[in-house]
This record gives sequence, C-alpha cells and structure tokens, in this order.
Amino acid sequence: MFDVPETAMKNPIIEVKNLGLHFGPASRPVRAVDGVSFSIDEGETVALVGESGCGKSVTALSLAKLVSGSSRYVSGSVMYDGKDVLQMEESELRWLRGNEISFVFQEPGMSLNPVFRVGSQIAEAIRLHRKGVDVHDEVLRLLQLVGIPAPEKRMRSYPHEMSGGMQQRVMIAMALACQPRLLVADEPTTALDVTIQAQILELLSELQKQLGMAILLITHNLGLVADVAHSVNVMYAGRIVERGPSRELLRNPEHPYTHGLLAAVPRLTGSVGRLKSIDGSVPHLAQLPSGCKFHPRCPKRKPDCEGVEPELRESGENRAVRCYYPVKQGQHEER
Amino acid sequence: MSTQMDNVSAESRSLWGDAWRRLRKNRLALWCLVVVVIYTVTAFYGEVQYRYYQFKDEQPSYQRPDLDSQYLAPSLTRVLKGEDRAGRSVVKELLRHPCGTDGLGRDVLARLVQGTRIAFLVGIVTSIIAIPIGVILGCLAGYFGGKVDDFIVWLYTTMASIPGLLFILAIAMVVGQGLLGVYLGIGLTTWVGLCRLIRGEVIKHKSSTYVTAARALGLGHARIIFRHILPNVFHIVIVTFTIRFPQAISTEVFLSFLGIGVQGEPSWGIMISNSRLRLWQGVWWEMTFVTIAIFLVVLAFNLLGDALRDALDPRLREAG
Repeated sequence: MFDVPETAMKNPIIEVKNLGLHFGPASRPVRAVDGVSFSIDEGETVALVGESGCGKSVTALSLAKLVSGSSRYVSGSVMYDGKDVLQMEESELRWLRGNEISFVFQEPGMSLNPVFRVGSQIAEAIRLHRKGVDVHDEVLRLLQLVGIPAPEKRMRSYPHEMSGGMQQRVMIAMALACQPRLLVADEPTTALDVTIQAQILELLSELQKQLGMAILLITHNLGLVADVAHSVNVMYAGRIVERGPSRELLRNPEHPYTHGLLAAVPRLTGSVGRLKSIDGSVPHLAQLPSGCKFHPRCPKRKPDCEGVEPELRESGENRAVRCYYPVKQGQHEER
Repeated sequence: MSTQMDNVSAESRSLWGDAWRRLRKNRLALWCLVVVVIYTVTAFYGEVQYRYYQFKDEQPSYQRPDLDSQYLAPSLTRVLKGEDRAGRSVVKELLRHPCGTDGLGRDVLARLVQGTRIAFLVGIVTSIIAIPIGVILGCLAGYFGGKVDDFIVWLYTTMASIPGLLFILAIAMVVGQGLLGVYLGIGLTTWVGLCRLIRGEVIKHKSSTYVTAARALGLGHARIIFRHILPNVFHIVIVTFTIRFPQAISTEVFLSFLGIGVQGEPSWGIMISNSRLRLWQGVWWEMTFVTIAIFLVVLAFNLLGDALRDALDPRLREAG
C-alpha cells in the first residue's frame, strides 16, 4: 500500500449514492446498476471488482454521465464538489469530462481515433481545456511522463503503428492532459499481456504519487487490486456485495462471492490442481433471482437467503458486506 | 520501464500517402486516373475557351455555322477515301475537323470539348449540392438517433420513393430550362444513397470506444461528429463522388437530349439529340464520338471509384 498523507484522505471528491441505472423498456428493465454507493477520497485509489456484466463499467461511466443508449437513471446521485453530475447540463458535463474526471479504457487500440496522429489527439485534449500553454511542448512532456521513448518521433505516429502497451500509454497521456482530479481506469490492462500489465499499473501508481490524483480502477482481476488499490468494492449483479480496505478484504473476504473470486485466482505456489471456479453463471440482469442475488451459486446458502435481499451492513472498521452469513475471520478453509 | 519497446519506425506514413501507395499497385486504376485527368484538363481547357469568347463577346467558333463544310466526315476517313483536299497537305487535312463536322458545319471535336466542360460542371456542381446534404443529414441521423433519425429517414425514404427522373424533371421545369435546372434537379435528388451510407457508418462508429473516449475528454457533439467520426467515414464520400459523377453526367445527357437541359451550349446530350436525325443517312461520326466520350468517362470513374474504395478504407490500413 502506498503512503497517502492523512490530510489528503477523508476528503471525498466524488460520492456515489444509491445509484440505479436501468436499460431497456421500463416494463422489463435490465437493472445494470442497483443501489450502488461509494466514495473516492482525494488521492486515493479505489478498485471496483467483479465479473463481466456486473455493472462495474456502467457505474464508472456514470461518474461523468457517459452512459449512452437506452439507459435511465432511476435513482441516486453522483455528487462532485457538491453538485449532482446526473443533473448537470451538457456544458457543465463537458467541463467535468476531461478536465476534472478523465478515463482510460480497456482497448487502447479502439480508444484512439485511427485517422489521427497520436500527438494531435493529445493536443486536442489540451487545447480544449487549457488555454495559453504551448501545446507542442505539453504533448512532449506528457508523452515523456508516461514513458514513451523518442516522443518527438512518436507524436507523429498513427495509433496502428504502436503496440498495445504504447497505445495505452498514449491514452493515459491523453487522460492526464488536463490534470484531472480523478482518473477512471476501466480495465486498463485487460487487453495487454502480463508484463505490459505490470508496467501500466506501475505507471499509474507512479503518476498518482506525482500528480496526487485519485484513481478508480475497474478490474475483474483481484490479483491486481492488492498492489495498487487502497480500498476495494466488489460488485455482483449490479450491486456492491462487499467493501473494505484492500489488504484486509483480500486477507479475510467475508462475502462468499469474494471468497470464490479469490479462490479462482491461479497461484504460482502450492499444489497443482484444477483451477477453482464459482459454480453457475452470472444471472441475467433482467431476470435476477429473489433474495440475495448470489444465493443460487452460493456454497453456503441457507433457506432464508432466498427471501429478502440482505442489506450492505457494516462488518468492521471501514468494512461492509451484503450477506446474512458472512464468512468470519479465521473461518477460511485452507487453500 | 521502457525496456522492450518496439522500434520506432523510420517515418510514419500519412493516411493519403498510404492510400496512394495502395492505389498505385492497381494498374487498371492508374489508367483510369490518367483518363480522368485527361478529361479534367479537357474540361478546364473548355472552360478557358468559353470564358475567352464570353470576354471578347463574340460567337464561339464551336457555335459558328460554316455552311461550306456541312457534314464533313472525320479527317482520317476523308483522307483514306481520297477526297479532295483543296490543295492542303495530308497533315494539314488530318488536323482539319479531325472528328468531322455537324449539320451546321461546326467542328465536332470542339463541341465535344465543350460537352466535357458541361459534363464536369454538372458533375461537380451537383456534387457540391448533394454531398453536403447527404453527409450532414446522414451524420445527424446516425449520431443523434431517436427523433432526428426518424425525421431524416422519413425524409429520404420519401425522396427515394418518388421516381428519380420525374422528380428531376419536375424541379427542372419549375426552375426553368438551362443549367440551373439541371444542377438543382440532380443535386437535390441524389443525396439519398450517400445519406443512407453515412448514417449506417456513423451508427457503427458512434458506439466505438474512440467516440466514448472523445466524449470522456469533454468534446462537444459537433466536434465529435465532424472532426472525429467524419474523417473515419470520409472514404465513403470520395467513393460516392466518383460513382455519382458519371451518373450525374448521364442524367444531364438525358435531360439535354429531352430538351429541358442545357440550352444554347453544346452538351453531349444535345449533340446526341442533334445527330440522331441524320444517323440513318450515314452521318455516324458525331453520335459515335460523343458515345465514346461518355463511355470512357463513365467507365474510368466507375473503375476508379472501385479502386478508391479499396485504397481509402482506414480499416484496411497496413501496420507500419
């Protein structure tokens, strides 16, 4: 874990409260996000972890009201500096996006416009939000900052002439162009191979130290979380099922789902065996089971899990879990 | 951090350079390009000639009747048949009315050049009218969707359901005979196909990550549409231009042939219309040369359009 100055903590820059987002017709909604609340403090790294389709990306995009298509916000708010992002006008949103909150997406090759040189794409972000800076020098500085060799030359490259890792560095440079207070990294390393993954994550935390921005890291890889995130929110079927400081949560997962996820991370040490997985599959968001949404797959389910859905309850210092029968500390079977 | 970074390629090629490199591999396309360039130069020469006579305010040579040389066959035919050269040398005779003359003794070649000028004017001006309409409406419909899309789709479906030629005729009638009617008639009716194509492509691009990324940077709608999406679909515009150009030319020929197109200027349509009267009496040259001229330009543009479609698609770009 990184040393975060105490003063910087406990000063939330963005607070998501009871966020609910539905897709599709109102009669048969797909509940992509349902009652999600969390906050991100200044300079903090928060991870949002979950399987594909659990609503983590949509939650992330909601921070700047970027979800497109037939989506409806049915509840909740996203408070940024005391203003609700979901109620903002288009012009305010444009100021927010890029300037205050910026994004890095999963597929760097797809996130860069194929017909422009990367330098001009970064320059565009600078011109848009910052007046009176030497754009050329600033682009160079940013490319150097994200560790691109020969930036003077690379500025004139097209995206397809770069490797995936390089493209992601360019994306990060673009996201940093306006010195945002919050960087949302939506699976920034999923499309990259493992060595590059480590480099990109290292770069992100390096940059966080230098620039003091907060990071929301979206991932389905719990293994990544331990190294970079201060706190973790585990999502399942559009809701947060467990939250806590990353070290603690990873050491003592309380929700059976988190437990299953951790068990599924392959290990380099120990006995060689079949990879563990969670039985069943993620429920369709339009046909969620009753009660606890995880109960059909839960190894520890009891009859009352099917009744009323459990609340997200405090279960210790800074920790919360949405389960009637959380796994208690020391109860873990040996892995 | 940057240990195993890829080599920086010598110099990155621009988009156009890349397209040109791919086009160059296609022999046929290059020949078509040569043909198109020749036609363009001819049209330009015709325009200069036209302006010159307009400036001097006298009747152009290609309009001046010369009743001494009515229905002269093409020079080569005359020489081969051993017709009277009236004391001129063979070379001089070959250069005299090389494509023959029409019923008023006007040089067919000179009129062909003027016809090229008209054809290009029609092709270019109708494109200037139709392409912006198609592109802008297509972009708006594709990007915004919903009500905007419904309206624009309704608009172009309605346009498309009216028989094209009748619509052009109606507009040409309202505006009046002459080039303006041709321009507006063709220009206002032929944007539908392009609009459809652009709309479809924009819908596809709208949901791509780079557009989300652009939105996440705080760019406005106009900037995203016209600066980010449009360059990605612009190859369609270029290809459509090369395909609709010959279509516009043939429509003009048809309109002029019917007598509601160009007036008082030698367009290809008027030449065909005039020459059909004496065709059965053996005056074959005017009809033949006009047809060849139209055939070549239409063929060249179509083949070039095909090749351009392959060369310009950004998705087909080869990696460095």
